[in-house]
Amino acid sequence: MAAPVPPGASRPGDNTSPPAPNYNPNFRGFPDSLADNMQNLNLNRPPMTSNLAARPPPFGQSPAFPSSSPSPGIPGPSPPFSRPGPPPVAQLRPSVPGYGPPSSTLPLNFVPGRPTGPPTSQPMFLGSRPRPSTLLSSTGSPAAPTSGGPYPGSSLPTHPIGPPLLTPGAHPNTLTSTPLSAPQVMPPSGSSGNVMSNGPPVFSSGALSARPQFPPINSASQPPVGPNVVRTPPGPALQSQLPSSGAPQGTMPPLGSPFGVPSWRMQPQQVAPPPVPGPTQTSQMFGMPPPLPNQSMTTTISPAVGQTGAPMAGPSKIDPNQIPRPTPSSSVILHETRQGNQATIPPPATSDYIVRDTGNCSPRYMRCTINQIPFSADLLVTSGMQLALLVQPLALPHPSEEPIQVVDFGESGPVRCSRCKAYINPFMKFVDQGRRFICNFCGFTDETPRDYHCNLGPDGRRRDADERPELCRGTVEFVATKEFMVREPMPAAYFFLIDVSMNAVQTGATAAACSAISQVITDLPEGPRTMVGVATFDSTIHFYNLKRALQQPLMLIVPDVQDVYTPLETDVIVPLAECRQHLELLLESIPSMFHNNMTSESAFGAAIEAAFLAMKGSGGKLLVFQSVLPSLGIGALSAREAEGRTNTSAGEKEAHKLLQPADKAFKEMAIEFAEYQVCVDVFLTTQTYVDIASISVIPRTTGGQVYYYYPFSALSDTAKLYNDLRWNITRPQGFEAVMRVRCSQGIQVQEYYGNFCKRIPTDVDLAGIDCDKTFMVTLKHDDKLQDGSECAFQCALLYTTLFGQRRIRVITLSLPVTSMLSNLFRAADLDTQFCCFLKQAASEIPSKPLLQVREQVTNLCINALFSYRKFCATVSSSGQLILPEALKLLPLYTLALSKSIGLRNEGRIDERSFWINYVSSLSTPLAIPLVYPRMVAIHDLDSKEDHNSVIPSFLPLSSEHISNEGIYLLENGHDCSIYIGDSVSSDILQRLFGVATVDEIPTPFVLQQFDNPLSKKLNEVVNEIRQQRCSYLRLKLCKKGDPSGMSFFSYMVEDKSTGGFSYVEFLIHVHRQIQHKMTA
Amino acid sequence: MSEMANTDPEGVDGVRMTWNVWPRTKVEASKCAIPLAASIALIRSHPDIPSRLPYAPLRCKTCTSVLNPFSRVDFTAKIWICPFCYQRNHFPPHYGMISETNLPGELYPQYTTVEYALPISTNPNTFGNQTLDPNHQLQPSPVFVFVLDTCMIEEEMEFAKSALRQAIELLPDNAFVGFITFGTQVQVHELGFTEMSKVHVFRGSKEISKDQILEQLGLGAAGRKTAGIFQKGVQSGPPSSGVFRYLLPTSECEYTLNALLDELQTDQWPVPPGSRSARCTGVALSVAAGLLGACTVGTGARIIALVGGPCTEGPGTIVSKDLSDPVRSHKDLDKDAAPYFKKAVKFYDSLAKQLVSQGHVLDLFASALDQVGVAEMKVTVERTGGLVVLSESFGHSVFKDSFKRVFEDGEQSLGLCFNGTLEINCSKEIKISGIIGPCTSLEKKGPSVADSVIGEGNTISWKMCGLDKSTCLTVMFDLSTTDRSNTSAVNPQLYLQFLTSYQGSDGQLVLRVTTVTRRWVDSTISSEELVQGFDQETAAVVMARLASLKMETEETFDATRWLDRHLIRLCSKFGDYRKDDPSSFTLNPSFSLFPQFLFNLRRSQFVQVFNNSPDETAYFRMLLNRENISNAAVMIQPSLISYSFNSLPAPALLDVSSIAADRILLLDSYFSVVIFHGMTIAQWRNMGYQNQPEHQAFAQLLQAPRDDAQLIIRDRFPVPRLVVCDQHGSQARFLLAKLNPSATYNNAHEMAAGSDIIFTDDVSLQVFFEHLQRLAVQS
Repeated sequence: MAAPVPPGASRPGDNTSPPAPNYNPNFRGFPDSLADNMQNLNLNRPPMTSNLAARPPPFGQSPAFPSSSPSPGIPGPSPPFSRPGPPPVAQLRPSVPGYGPPSSTLPLNFVPGRPTGPPTSQPMFLGSRPRPSTLLSSTGSPAAPTSGGPYPGSSLPTHPIGPPLLTPGAHPNTLTSTPLSAPQVMPPSGSSGNVMSNGPPVFSSGALSARPQFPPINSASQPPVGPNVVRTPPGPALQSQLPSSGAPQGTMPPLGSPFGVPSWRMQPQQVAPPPVPGPTQTSQMFGMPPPLPNQSMTTTISPAVGQTGAPMAGPSKIDPNQIPRPTPSSSVILHETRQGNQATIPPPATSDYIVRDTGNCSPRYMRCTINQIPFSADLLVTSGMQLALLVQPLALPHPSEEPIQVVDFGESGPVRCSRCKAYINPFMKFVDQGRRFICNFCGFTDETPRDYHCNLGPDGRRRDADERPELCRGTVEFVATKEFMVREPMPAAYFFLIDVSMNAVQTGATAAACSAISQVITDLPEGPRTMVGVATFDSTIHFYNLKRALQQPLMLIVPDVQDVYTPLETDVIVPLAECRQHLELLLESIPSMFHNNMTSESAFGAAIEAAFLAMKGSGGKLLVFQSVLPSLGIGALSAREAEGRTNTSAGEKEAHKLLQPADKAFKEMAIEFAEYQVCVDVFLTTQTYVDIASISVIPRTTGGQVYYYYPFSALSDTAKLYNDLRWNITRPQGFEAVMRVRCSQGIQVQEYYGNFCKRIPTDVDLAGIDCDKTFMVTLKHDDKLQDGSECAFQCALLYTTLFGQRRIRVITLSLPVTSMLSNLFRAADLDTQFCCFLKQAASEIPSKPLLQVREQVTNLCINALFSYRKFCATVSSSGQLILPEALKLLPLYTLALSKSIGLRNEGRIDERSFWINYVSSLSTPLAIPLVYPRMVAIHDLDSKEDHNSVIPSFLPLSSEHISNEGIYLLENGHDCSIYIGDSVSSDILQRLFGVATVDEIPTPFVLQQFDNPLSKKLNEVVNEIRQQRCSYLRLKLCKKGDPSGMSFFSYMVEDKSTGGFSYVEFLIHVHRQIQHKMTA
Repeated sequence: MSEMANTDPEGVDGVRMTWNVWPRTKVEASKCAIPLAASIALIRSHPDIPSRLPYAPLRCKTCTSVLNPFSRVDFTAKIWICPFCYQRNHFPPHYGMISETNLPGELYPQYTTVEYALPISTNPNTFGNQTLDPNHQLQPSPVFVFVLDTCMIEEEMEFAKSALRQAIELLPDNAFVGFITFGTQVQVHELGFTEMSKVHVFRGSKEISKDQILEQLGLGAAGRKTAGIFQKGVQSGPPSSGVFRYLLPTSECEYTLNALLDELQTDQWPVPPGSRSARCTGVALSVAAGLLGACTVGTGARIIALVGGPCTEGPGTIVSKDLSDPVRSHKDLDKDAAPYFKKAVKFYDSLAKQLVSQGHVLDLFASALDQVGVAEMKVTVERTGGLVVLSESFGHSVFKDSFKRVFEDGEQSLGLCFNGTLEINCSKEIKISGIIGPCTSLEKKGPSVADSVIGEGNTISWKMCGLDKSTCLTVMFDLSTTDRSNTSAVNPQLYLQFLTSYQGSDGQLVLRVTTVTRRWVDSTISSEELVQGFDQETAAVVMARLASLKMETEETFDATRWLDRHLIRLCSKFGDYRKDDPSSFTLNPSFSLFPQFLFNLRRSQFVQVFNNSPDETAYFRMLLNRENISNAAVMIQPSLISYSFNSLPAPALLDVSSIAADRILLLDSYFSVVIFHGMTIAQWRNMGYQNQPEHQAFAQLLQAPRDDAQLIIRDRFPVPRLVVCDQHGSQARFLLAKLNPSATYNNAHEMAAGSDIIFTDDVSLQVFFEHLQRLAVQS
């Protein structure tokens, strides 16, 4: 692939032209390992490809493939699979499976695409865009058997091999290393074609000279592809390599290496322009694909010349444009959870996919950081990766997915292992003509209950296996029997608690809350089991008796905020049907009733305690709207932030203390709340410090959530408040839940992370659980597993639905056990792993100095890469930074993480506390954008036509992509910033904002829709994003040259910032660290 | 003097004494067996009392007693000599015009009781120094805080509500009203909040201090600052601002209150089976007291508590919630087996102190079949001078009519007054041991404070937060131990002056001065005068009050023996007999009724407490202590009137022998009025003869006792229970219990037909007398 160019020069000393050669080699070498290629392609390429594809025709590539697969159904990267058509897919899959994982981005897709080339199926490439200097990720390809990777050869070749490395030394040279693309592995036939295609596309996109290079490479590479490889099980491994310092060496490991892990390398000299220019040039090479949509396809990254962009690259000469970057896929991936009785590797969490549950649970519900389980603890340690599950038990399914089936076992309840109590699942093995079954968790043999008996078919499966969801689906729901109830399932009770202190009233927060509640009431489930209550509070707590008999609501004040109580046993919470009118009236009158309230104190703690007491009998959701720092009564807090500021010496040293709860009061309350099934959500509509660190303890412990509107503006936040509240109430959710994760023998749960209360070690109690809540479950070995066997995980969530049914959702995932390190890297799940990083880091921020946390995060990244470098990539020269294909974005995300709000030194305490809290229950798909947001240009929305998606392609988070004439929208799943350059044409402003100059845009900003295509498109885009994120993003307007502009730039994680590396620098840093370890 | 007593025993001064002639020495006094005591009706109206003098009284500059008819006046020198301390005082200039023919009211000899109307600013009592805004004119509005129990059945609740509605209607427009309800928790209704009904809820299980209450009601120091905005201009009445949110003039809140009462529900907290409702009477009362604490000192205010059951929650609890745990009985109290009692009393004692310091009154209306804790709350009610009514139900006339009376104007009015203080000046030889009755000692020391204390003592000044026309106090005197024969020679008269200042029901501040004089006698020389001066009725009542007090305060006090001993001593001293010859015993008419009084006292509810619940006993005693002598005497020894065809209605012997088949008896035992139809009468009545024109006379006979009963009931507060019963009916026990058991099953055969017997082993009056004679004559 692309490699050609880069390679050459790169390495320090190496040779000049090596590039091409090198690359080829690699590829070739790898050929077998298609997988590798794939991976590479996927990762790196994307850019490229995309370019190719996209630009030209999205298909560009596909065409290429075409050879293999005729139908490019869909243009674009993703196309691969899609096109090929689902049908084929299936078949393909099989072979593919292994690969899938590799590519972070698109990989899977490709696979399918391949169809044609049956053998090789794996055509994937990743297109991550390699940055110039950097490297390329080579994907590990599973290559072919032939290649025997350094590693044991699992059948697949491990990728390990040779990813090209970048050598630091390279710098001098040009940096352009070109990445190579790995990929192209296409089947022979197609391959060439593909490659080619890739090449070309490039131009289109970037229109850089660079492309040319690729092509060649590609072609070359292709051959490498080992079709066979595909077959091999899993294994695609990826490696991306970064050249460390700037100089990439292009050299690839010789062909010799089994896989050709395509690596990226930079080639300095290569084609490229002189070193110096390096940075700038790069862009050309690839056309910086980033923007391009189609990256998916492909492949390599070529380092090529540094594009203009990467200033920092300076030293290293890495082309910023070619560094691995996420490549969104805009097409939908079809995913079957198991094929051929093997677990498939799920698509990236951030991609759009449709799952068919064929035995394993959908990855939406549960996914593992590594899709193969290391057989021993040592192996895991060696890998430097973490083993953890991310469980989102009520995750929203894709609309096209089959709904989860509900199974009713009647009186007897679901069949369970009598020893470990695991629920029946497709992996329990029926023996003895179906009379007994062996538990896949503890290995115990149980009698099949008589009425559940069924004969076995010739294949050893029960004959009814396909008719019984619990025997063929990874996720089912059982109807819970009495045995699972300590009481009648609780009603859906909602209690709204509204701050009416002076501040809240004056800022409009009270009115906003009342109006939101009032609107949301209509969305509450109908029926006699829906109960509601309202209370307000300032320095005292005001309950309202909404009983229908009363002519008007009765206000009951609880003045003792040191020792609260509920003023009524009944009637504070009443069936919605009986009080709808009263409630509406009341909500309407609250703002006026308190409009001249002069009480500035807030008895937040006492208020929730009192509300809790009122709800204690039934449990339910407590939704609190709070606007100021709790200053009175139970759980009163002090403005410690200010204290910290005045007392700087102490403040500095103990900065993280401010991120810890001020005292135990809230924690104790929260535990009690959880015990009585009260789930607390807190809406902080504030303009001041409210000590989220302390307050958030309650939502966290009770399975609730914190919403933060800062600085609150009645104008712009009212709509968001309503939408947040509405989603909070209408999203799929459950009450009084208990969750437990069971693992097969040899593995056990180490720790749960998330929003819950834990009273016994094995279970987590969830007063409330909803579709957005995700738990991280870390695992540890307590014994060796048997290589080749499968290890199962089962998450059982017992909960009560909104309608009062008691259900047990059982989510089962069975993954192969492996003894090969390379398999682990190939099966690594980037998004999930990063999500673990994120959650672990977040959980440690409050207890450790920031610097230490950042170091720790970096080390986690380095450890994994080091392990890969050391054990899976021996072949490569030491000068290269080699990234496993699957994890090639890890450095980028790690860097982004270390610059994220939570880990930044600056920033308000509350903001950081909120961040920490937000992360704790964050789902995997949202974790990535949180640290590496999506940025799109919106000033030219109407000029781009993209059939795939409403949302235009993303820009890398680097200030070089922001022009003064442009308007950009950046969203991280929670907030959304619109940045307006200072030279934007007034026409555009007029069309988007209805004003002629930037200064006229009113603050706070509210997005309006004007009657013109651009504005409509923008609204469409924003709405689409909101829908995707299930969040009504908080829009913030950022203008160049004002503080808001600065805050916008703080999202530009690839830039060098105070105290933070630029992306290129960071890669170099990582590379140095690895080298240091290697030598140590 | 005793003869006089029959017509108007208390006279213009409202003072009755056990001895109207005083022995000169302490030793002599102690030989008299019956202590020196005076019962004073503090503000009883009397046609002979002149209208209020519109100026301030003149006071002696050394002893502060007020100029009175017994002062010697030198009209030429414009000097008066104080009869208590003999200090010579100059008249101030504005008395310059006085002469023998131009006397100010207070010097008229017949005006031993006069009233001064005081401008508020010169209010001489302890509140005189409060800062009074001139705008807060002369007529501070009274405050009524209703405290309603909601732990009762719907029916009772409706009765209580309708009583309240009626009360609110009757209140003067300027009266301020507050409303508190309680059950498991206390709800303070913020009447001034217009948007919706608003209540402040206090937890019932926790004792809260006054400061906390004020703080939590927004009336604390912090609250007051901002409370200014609630000031409704220049308001009369409770001057402190924020409190207006809770206390509104009747005229402004009548509608709100009625609406509120309409919606008021019984306590909604669930009561587990087998349990009593959680009722936090104690906290409710302290919240009410706390709320009133926000009013400026000196505001007349009453807490009117309607309680429907025992306090089971929080401070003041008298019994556990477990129904299997009965409310304490006298037996439990005796055996110290009432775990809540002392704590509750202590709580109410502190509440009493708070209310007294604020000058506010607690009125208790308890209506329940079981006890509600009157025994514990007694201390608060009594010390603040509150009213108390105990009945079985809020629907019962005892409650309904009594409650109405409280608010009624006019002749029937109780004449409720506020902020009373009593000061007593007396001649040097006289010491004051204390007062029994509804008041609180102000602990104001003076030379006439006796060493030994009885009741509220250690002072020469007492406070009565609330008092009314009928309020009576019993002052116990002692004599100085030093021999003062010389001085008494100088002055054979002793003087007592009672200074009562109070805020009248019309808001006027009044100082009433009653000066009385009595004669010293040297009983060592002759007891004749002493005997003439004995007031048997008063003596009996004082003994009853003293015995009650001792029973309450002295453990192991044996009232019967104590009474017997005094009676025997009295008879020994004043009877005519030959030693050891019982048959020779005769008693002077001045004493002749006394033994019978004591006989009935021994059998009364005041001494025989075990027949009653502690609540009833407390109730009876409170009334005994605050009523005048005549009424109290009726409590001890009921009056019985007989009606028959053959004669006019006539007093009958309080004896079972008074029962006859053809008679109707009317028994007035103060707490109940019983109309008892003899068997024949009852049969006739049942046959409806009274409805036949030819039996008009019978109808009249039936009607006469009813009319008389109504007369009795009309003037009495609390309204007595009217029992109409027939001979041998179950209700007849109300009569039988009071009669002398001269006929019991032991001697039933001796009785004439138509009469009745009492099933008892109690001794009869005859037996009692026999023993008395025997013991009195023993040497």
